[in-house]
Amino acid sequence: MPYTKHMDTKNKRILFIEDEEALRGAFGETFQRDGYTVFEASDGEDGMLIAKKELPDLILLDLILPKKSGFEVLKELRKNPDTKHIPVVVLTNLEGSEDVERALAYGATTYLVKANYSLDDLVAKIKSVLEHHSPAL
Amino acid sequence: MMYMRILDSLNIKKQCAQYRVGLWQCPQFLFLIMGMIIIVAIAATNTLANRYVAPEIAALIVLALAGVLFVIGHMIVSAFDRVARSARSKSEFISIISHHLRAPLSAIKWQIDVLLPQNQSGRLQASESAKYLNAIRENNERMIFAVNDLLDVNRIEDNDIVLCPSAFSLVELSRGAVIKFSQLYPSRSFSLHIESEDITTMQVYADEEHIRRVIQHLMDNAACYSSEGSSIMVRIVPEEAFAKWSVADEGIGIPPQDQPRIFEKFFRAQNAARHQTGGLGIGLFVAKSLVKLSRGKIGFSSAPGKGSTFWFALPIVK
Repeated sequence: MPYTKHMDTKNKRILFIEDEEALRGAFGETFQRDGYTVFEASDGEDGMLIAKKELPDLILLDLILPKKSGFEVLKELRKNPDTKHIPVVVLTNLEGSEDVERALAYGATTYLVKANYSLDDLVAKIKSVLEHHSPAL
Repeated sequence: MMYMRILDSLNIKKQCAQYRVGLWQCPQFLFLIMGMIIIVAIAATNTLANRYVAPEIAALIVLALAGVLFVIGHMIVSAFDRVARSARSKSEFISIISHHLRAPLSAIKWQIDVLLPQNQSGRLQASESAKYLNAIRENNERMIFAVNDLLDVNRIEDNDIVLCPSAFSLVELSRGAVIKFSQLYPSRSFSLHIESEDITTMQVYADEEHIRRVIQHLMDNAACYSSEGSSIMVRIVPEEAFAKWSVADEGIGIPPQDQPRIFEKFFRAQNAARHQTGGLGIGLFVAKSLVKLSRGKIGFSSAPGKGSTFWFALPIVK
């Protein structure tokens, strides 16, 4: 039986950069219920500001965003010494190979297609990404 | 079988239809013309040089023909470039349309993910359920809008649009659109300006459903390319035998170099980057095609950084 490490999510802080209000609402409700602290940003510029200020444990990033695209945000996050180690999960509905390759080349931790994930699946996936990026746990 | 394939490849008209380009933009046709010119030129030069003309004159004729072939060669390269650009636009279009179809679907999926467990556990409050159900309805409408876009493009390309013209009020149609868009984009300030009472009773003759979609496209563009808190003004004025409808925004505007191509299918202005707005690049193409079908006129004026005004005009019923 595989060993699974139980992770306490109470102190984990997630930033969700997404322009769809309905998606932010559903995501926030689910993740807060599971004990996460959720920060929300509706555009790329705002997302960048919150990321630098709050230094979350993980960033979920949409690619099509007003003001600053997800790709630009990703590049800036990786350039900034304070944010370059934060795992960034790209969560989008774009699935072109060019988009996936570009996001990974810019330093995305993983690339998920929103339509393929239920909220419960997403919680499990985020938990797994956090575990693999948290040597202290 | 092989002969059939050769004959098929010589069917230039079919090739043009396949690439959706004109005869003089079709690489196959241009290659055929070039081949024929080369054969005729070799035969003619040979005959002329042997029988009538001094070698210097023959050399000049060859030089002139080389110039003609160079021009045709350039046209062929441009034609391939156009076909390649069209293929690239199409693949980008498929990527963006799949995003547009998936976005409302995933929103609906996540909202149901939240609603269902709450409903099963009996914790669901009426205000919460109303919030999520409204969002599901909104996303369902977005989905219908995206599918209609796709169908419109296909029908326009196949000349398969059925017109059902009737007399209707542009003011009534616009009132409904302003209410709908105010709900869809609560951070923008939409308003409808009617300068005189006569306009309220004025009727135009066109396909009402098509014009509703034109208004949706133009208002959606105005909202997408302007920032939160900005004003979007819809205006209706009579202009000779036409009623002129316009929507003015305070958005990013269109760079002058992009303005001539703004109604082209799949075209996106440089400052409307794909990853910042996710537009399809077909709204204005569809709007122009539908207005033209209703014997109307369409146009715009724009200043980068200040905003754009898109308008269309339809014949007034006397």
